[in-house]
This record gives sequence, C-alpha cells and structure tokens, in this order.
Amino acid sequence: MVVLAPLVGAVLTPIVARRDRRVAPWWALGVMSVTSVAAVALMVRVAQEGPFSYYMSGWVPPIGIEFRFDEVSAFIGVVCLVGWLAVLYSFRYIEWLRGLEKPRIPYYYTLLLLNLAGIIGISITGDLFNLFVFLEIVSLSGYALVAVSGERIADMAAFKYLLIGAVSSLLVLLGIGLVYALTGSLNMADVSARLADAPARPLAVAIGAFTVGFMVKAAIFPLHIWLPDAHAIAPSPVSAVLSGLVVKVGIIGMLRIYQIVYGSGAVDMNGLNQVLMWLGAISIVMGAFFAVFQDDIKMMLAYSTISNIGYIVMGLGLASSFGVIGASIHVFNHALIKATLFFGAGALIFRTGKRTLSELAGVGRSMPLTAAAMSIGAISIVGIPPTAGFLCKWYIALGAVQAEQPFFAFALVFGALFIFIYYIRMVNAFYFRPPVDPEILAVKEAPASMLVPILVLAALCLIMGVLGRLPLTFIEPAVTRLLSTAGGG
Amino acid sequence: MEVVDARAVLAPAISLLCAALVFASGEHTFWRRLFSLSAATIKLVIIMSMLPGSLRGVVYVYDLVQFTPGVGLAFRADALGMFFSAVSATLWLFTTVYAIGYMEGEPHRRRFFGFFALCVSTTVGVAFAENLLTMFLFYETLTICTYPLVIHDETPEAMKAGRKYLAYTLTGGAFVLLGSVVTYQLAGTMTLSEPGILSLEAGRTTLAALFVCLIAGFGVKAAIMPLHGWLPTAMVAPTPVSALLHAVAVVKVGAFGILRVIYNVYGVELLRELGFCDYLAVVATVTIIAGSLIAMFQDNFKRRLAFSTISQLSYIVLGASLLTPFGATAAIVHLANQAFAKITMFFVAGSIQRTTGKTNVHEFAGIGYRMPYTMGAFTVAALSFIGVPLFAGFVTKWYLSLGALQAEEWWVVLVMLVSSLLNALYWLPIVYTAFFKAPPGTQLKVRESHWTLLAPTLVCAAYVLILGMTVTVPGMPFSLASAAVTFVFGM
Repeated sequence: MVVLAPLVGAVLTPIVARRDRRVAPWWALGVMSVTSVAAVALMVRVAQEGPFSYYMSGWVPPIGIEFRFDEVSAFIGVVCLVGWLAVLYSFRYIEWLRGLEKPRIPYYYTLLLLNLAGIIGISITGDLFNLFVFLEIVSLSGYALVAVSGERIADMAAFKYLLIGAVSSLLVLLGIGLVYALTGSLNMADVSARLADAPARPLAVAIGAFTVGFMVKAAIFPLHIWLPDAHAIAPSPVSAVLSGLVVKVGIIGMLRIYQIVYGSGAVDMNGLNQVLMWLGAISIVMGAFFAVFQDDIKMMLAYSTISNIGYIVMGLGLASSFGVIGASIHVFNHALIKATLFFGAGALIFRTGKRTLSELAGVGRSMPLTAAAMSIGAISIVGIPPTAGFLCKWYIALGAVQAEQPFFAFALVFGALFIFIYYIRMVNAFYFRPPVDPEILAVKEAPASMLVPILVLAALCLIMGVLGRLPLTFIEPAVTRLLSTAGGG
Repeated sequence: MEVVDARAVLAPAISLLCAALVFASGEHTFWRRLFSLSAATIKLVIIMSMLPGSLRGVVYVYDLVQFTPGVGLAFRADALGMFFSAVSATLWLFTTVYAIGYMEGEPHRRRFFGFFALCVSTTVGVAFAENLLTMFLFYETLTICTYPLVIHDETPEAMKAGRKYLAYTLTGGAFVLLGSVVTYQLAGTMTLSEPGILSLEAGRTTLAALFVCLIAGFGVKAAIMPLHGWLPTAMVAPTPVSALLHAVAVVKVGAFGILRVIYNVYGVELLRELGFCDYLAVVATVTIIAGSLIAMFQDNFKRRLAFSTISQLSYIVLGASLLTPFGATAAIVHLANQAFAKITMFFVAGSIQRTTGKTNVHEFAGIGYRMPYTMGAFTVAALSFIGVPLFAGFVTKWYLSLGALQAEEWWVVLVMLVSSLLNALYWLPIVYTAFFKAPPGTQLKVRESHWTLLAPTLVCAAYVLILGMTVTVPGMPFSLASAAVTFVFGM
C-alpha cells in the first residue's frame, strides 16, 4: 500500500541511520521510489478500470477501514513526484542549513516522509475518521518542519501555524463528530447514502465546520494569516511541499465533502458555492496585492500561493463542469509550478545567501539554468500559454462563463495580470538589472542534486501545458460523476 | 479544398528551432549568424512553396495537439494567413541581415537574436492559427518574447518603456482571453475557418460586449487610439526591433486579429446587421487623423515614425470595418504595403543613427549628400505613404476609397484625402531638408552605411515599388489578398 511504505519508512529512518547518518537521505529516496512505483501502478489501474477500493484486513465497510482509490486520488501521482524530488533536493540543502544540527538530520527525513505519507493517506482514504488522522499527521509534521529551518522567527512562525492549524483540526473533528451523530457511520460512501434523511440544520453546521476547517488548511483569504510566514521561513524543500501539496489537502478535503453531500442530495450547496466563489476571487486579488510589496523572494512566493488557492476555490465554487475541471487541474499544476519556484528560490539562497529581490539582482548571469527555470515557473503561474498554468485559467474562465458568472472570469483574468506585476519584478531582477553586489556574478550554478529537480519540474510546467489532456483523463470522469449526482439529487 | 500538410506547423517551428540553437550556441557569432540566416531562408522557402497551392485555393491544415474536442492547437494556412505569413517571413530575412550589421559589437546579442527568432515564430503562429485559442496562445507568447527586446538596452528609460509595454499588451491579452472564452460558450467552437461562427441568437448586448472585448484586446497591439500609448515609448528599443516588431510583427498581429474577428468570428453578414462597425470606423478615422497630426510635431525621427505607424495601422481597421469587398482588399493589402514602406523608413532611421549619430529631424540637413541611397529609399517610402500612384500606398488608398463608395460612405474618401495631405506635410519636409538644405560644415563626401544596413533598405524600397506596380500581375501578393476576400464574402 502506498501509505504504508512512507509511513513505515519514516519511522525506520532514525534506526537505519543510527550508525551512519549519511544513509538517511538515500533511505528516504528509496522509500519514495517504492511509493512512487506503487502509486503509478494504482494510477494505471484507475485509468483503466475506474475507481476501486481496498478494505483493511478484509473487513467490509461500514465496519472496516476502507481505502478508496478514485480519480481524485490521482493527486498522489504529483505527491510522489514532488516528494521524491524534494528528498533529492534536500541532500545538499539540509546539510547546509544552520539551524539543524548534523546528527538530527535523519529526523528531518522522518518528518518529511511522515508528511508525505499523510498527504497520500488523505487522498486515498475512504473513511472520515482516517481522514482526520492523516490530516493530523500532515499538520503535526508540518509544524515541526517549519521550525527546522532555524531562522530567527522560525519558532514564532511554526507556533502561529500550530495554533491556527489546531483550531482548524478541531473544526474538522467537530464536523466529523456531527456527521457520526447524524448517520452513525464514518465511511464516506455509507455516510453519503445515509445522509439523505438526516435533519438539515445540524448537517449544515457540520458542512460549515468542515468548510472553515479545510479552508484554513488551504489558506483562503481571511484564513490565510499563518501561511506566508510559515512557508517563507521553512527550508526550501519543505516550502515546496507545504505550498505545492499540503495546502491542497484542504482542497481534497473539500472535494470529499462535496462528493458525500452531492451524493446524498441532502442539502442545497448553492449558498456555499456563492461564498466560495467570492472568497476565491478575493483571495486572488488580495494575495497578489500583498505579494507586490514583498521584497523577500520566498515571502512573495508564499503570497502567490494564496492567489492560486483562490483560483482553485473559485473553480470549485462555480460548480460548472469546466470550473471544477479547471480547479482540479490546478491542484496538479500548481503543485508542479510552485515546487519549481520554491526549489529555484532555495537554490538561489543556497548559493548566494541572499533572499531579497533587490540583492539578487543580476543572478541570472551566474545561475542561468536556475533563473531560466524560475522564469518558466513565473510565466506558468501567471497563466501565459503554452505553459501548465494557462490550462486551468482557461478552464476556470470557461467555467465562469458557463455558470453565467462572467464577472468571475473577469476577476480571474485580471487577477492574473496583477500577479504578473510581481513576477515580472522577479524576472527583471534576474536578468535585466545590474547587480547590486558584484559578488553575485561569481557564484556557481546550483549543485546537481538541486538543479535536477528544478529543471525536471520546469520542463513539466511546459509539457503539461502542451499535453493538457493527460490529467484530464483522470479528472473528467470524476467531475462528470460529481456534478451529475448533484443534478440528480 | 483542405490538405493536411506539416508545412503549416513547420513554418512557425523552424524559427523556434532557430531560437533554441541560438541560445545553445553561446557567444559564437559565426554559428549564431548561420542559424539565424539559414532559418530565415528556410522559412521563406517553406512559405513560398505553399504559395502556389494557396493561390489555387488549397488550404493547408495540421492539428498538433487536442486539449478536449474543439479546443486544441491547430494550424490552418488559408489565404489571409498565407498573406500575412509571407510578409512576415520576407521581412524577417531582411531584418536579420540588417540586425546582424546593426547589432555588431552590442552586448547580449545571444539574447537578442534568440528572442528575435521566437517573435517571428509566434507571428507566423498567429497567421496560421486555426482557432482563437491557438491564436491567443501565440498572441501572448509574442508579448513575452518582445519584452526582452524592448528593454534590450537595460537603461531606466528602457525598463520603463518595457513596463508600459507589458501593462498595455497583457491587458489586451486578457481581453482577448475573455473574448475567446465567451465566444466558445456562445458558438460552441472557436474555429477561424468559417466566415463567421456567431449568430444573432446570442442577443445584441452580449454580442456588443464581446465585440468590444475582442476588438479592444487586439486593438491594443494594433495601436488604435486611445490604446496606442505603449507604441511611441517602445521606440527606445534597438532599431531592428522597432522595425520588425513595430512595423511588422506586433502591430500587424493586432491588425490581423481584428481582421479575423470581423471576418471569421462575427462574419460580414452579422456585423452588417448589428452595425457595430460604424463605431469602429469612426474610431479608426480619429486615429488616422490624430496620429498624423501628432506625428507632425515630433522632432525625434523614430517618434515621428511611431505616430505615423499608429495612423497607418488604422487604414487597415477602417478598410475592414467598411464590410465591403473592396474595403477588405484594401485592408489586407495594406498589411503588406504599410509593412514594407514602414520597415524601409525604420531601416533608414537606424542607418542614419548608426552612421552619423543623428536621431532628430532638424539635424538631417544635407544628409542626402552624404547618404544618397539611404535617403533615396526613404523618399520612395514617403511617397508611398502619401499615396502617389505607382507606389504601394496608392493601391490601398484606391481600394479603400472604392470600398467606401461601395458602402456609400463618401466621407471616408475625404478622410483619405486629408490623410494624404497630412502625410505629405510631415514626410516631404524631411526629404527637402535632406537633399536641398546645405549641410553644416563643408564635408560633402558620400559616406554610406555598411552594406548589411544599406542592402535591406534598398531591397525593401524596391518592394514598395513592385507592390505598387504589379497589382494585376497574377501570382503577386495582390492575388492572394483577392483570394482571401473571395472567401470572406462568399463570392
């Protein structure tokens, strides 16, 4: 099972690396490789046969624990890819980190693997309580990973993350509790079937609790305050995982809730959709607005995540087939793009020791490959064709028109322009500004273990733009099924 | 008749390959020149090899990638697209030669030639785009690729111009995207292979909003007033960039987009019924007159050229918005006429700047003694803009006036006359100053610019004459334009 491999691997890391801590990274890489192979096998199966389930120790739900692998779960493909690359990237980066004492490096890999295991678990679980357990695994390891960096305000950032994260987890737990009280079941499919005759008001409260809880995890606008510090302070490979994957956990959670509720047809979701649409639009604009004023490159990227989550949430809220397709694609593509950017930013910081745009001026001359990859990432995240980011912008805009909400298409397209303002600053700093510090021209290109992940991801940003059909093979049937149940109920 | 043919993809792809090779070749001047020149030549050959087929009415199509049914990257070389791509490819070859001479010794040449090739690739991509999505894709890529060229000098002024350029054109791009999305929703397709895909069922208000969206989106690059602000500022770019991009690639892509919107998205029939084009014609007229008026007061030569471009581009818009066959002919033919004449002028401006260091019109006294061939080429281009018979500009003016009479809009003829007069007012004094005013000092020796600068200038000037004189010769660009018009009007 894909979850067990990293989970067990994570626990074993300190033991394996007891003698020689240099084994730890290779062990982690091996674990991720095994996981990836399993994930690919599962994805091929789901593409060929459609969704299927696996019952823990043979107990059939609603009693046993069900792992359900459907199209939404195809997210683990990206998780494995980015996770694998993040581990590879950490080889050199973590060694260099000041805040982390050398003997404790294996624990870092433990945390990283745990985090990834949690994300995979959330994507494939068919059980609400399991969902919560995995959510907590992700969150707890996330708090610790933020604190690892040893930057001045790392503890503070991690603490803020912890506090807000804990509240959101409680809300999700409350939602689960309510659902259990209403239906007497925690299995998603079972809940969905039993919800039909549940009283509407408590259910609405449960959905509200879920929504707020998951939206905190996803860092949608008014609930985003924990994100910028945490993502900017964390070590760069962790930032990539947090920004690319962990915030998506909230989205996946939302999708699952939608599946359950649509399936039962118990509640009319239109009100919630309206709220999500607006929150998405506001997030896009506000994220961009804050990012414009950032000089710290990672801070800027962190705010940009808020904007991008705004895209996704808006797409979900539009609830038209193109909108949801666009949102789902962006869950994939944003992971790729943001990982490219955070890896790239990490490489720049690693080599130059500087992290503000004004100090990094001229770095494109000394680190051409990293800078080129980041420029591709920047173009992609703004949604300029033919890169990966364009597809989702296209679909979500289509979705907005389809849902007869042209205003949101407008907000989306012009929000993207706003985002471009600060990415162009980044590209300008790399290439077209004279260096402030002449030393910057003397730095070397990033080491191979960092460069390879950056370039692979940048290439994917381009390829996914051209081969946009690929993720669609997973997403389209899922979305069609989701929305058809909505129409039926 | 449609034929599946990879050449429709190959034409844009060859410059893409060239760009990759240029970036990979590092600072090796020889390889860079070899790649640039051979790619330009091959591209021209590819496009010319499709020309006989196009004249017979063959349309080359090629589907590259499909996103979902109806949305994909697809290429289609119809008559209009062929016309535009032939113009771009021809001028790319000349400009490459010119740029090699002009950029000698400048920094960042690899970046310059790499992005230069990318721009041409995207321009031909726009020309051959089968649907609005493909077109938008190349339209946006063009914006991005021109940015490093505009700010090539990296001076604060250039950076500012670059910012302004991006702000205008990306906003335009956003409008085009919005328009494409709405079009897809209304028509269920985005193809540009039909004479109109929208219908009245969509409702007048929606269609009006969509029209504004698309025309404004493309109009930014076509520099319709009041969306023209970026163009004069972008003149800080090196002259070959101004020449190719601001006479051919960027601005013509905008104009071409407007033609596509009018002829292939809305269709002539529908627009006649809706009557939106009357407003567009008024805007174009204002641009023509105001652009010329502003140009008269510019002392900087390149700025004068910029405002003249703004004015001339609206000929195309005006011709298209008349919705008559002759008007369409004028619009399409002017894509080429304006391009060749304007690029000649830009080449002249660059040559003068490189050889004498002069950039302002009042310093040009006696320059005709020193650079007689260059200024001779300039005179040819100037006469073409004024619209003297035998020169290319006359063809446009003639057909535009005929088109106006077809549409019973006699005032357009008047506009043409006034515009000619204005063009004469600001071009002829330069000719006069250059040839008939005594130069300061006594040096009257002929010192022409380097041949790499002079040869393209002269060839382009010759083209202006050829275009003006061979209208009825079969196989010339004009017949291609007629073929496009025939299709659009279903004749």
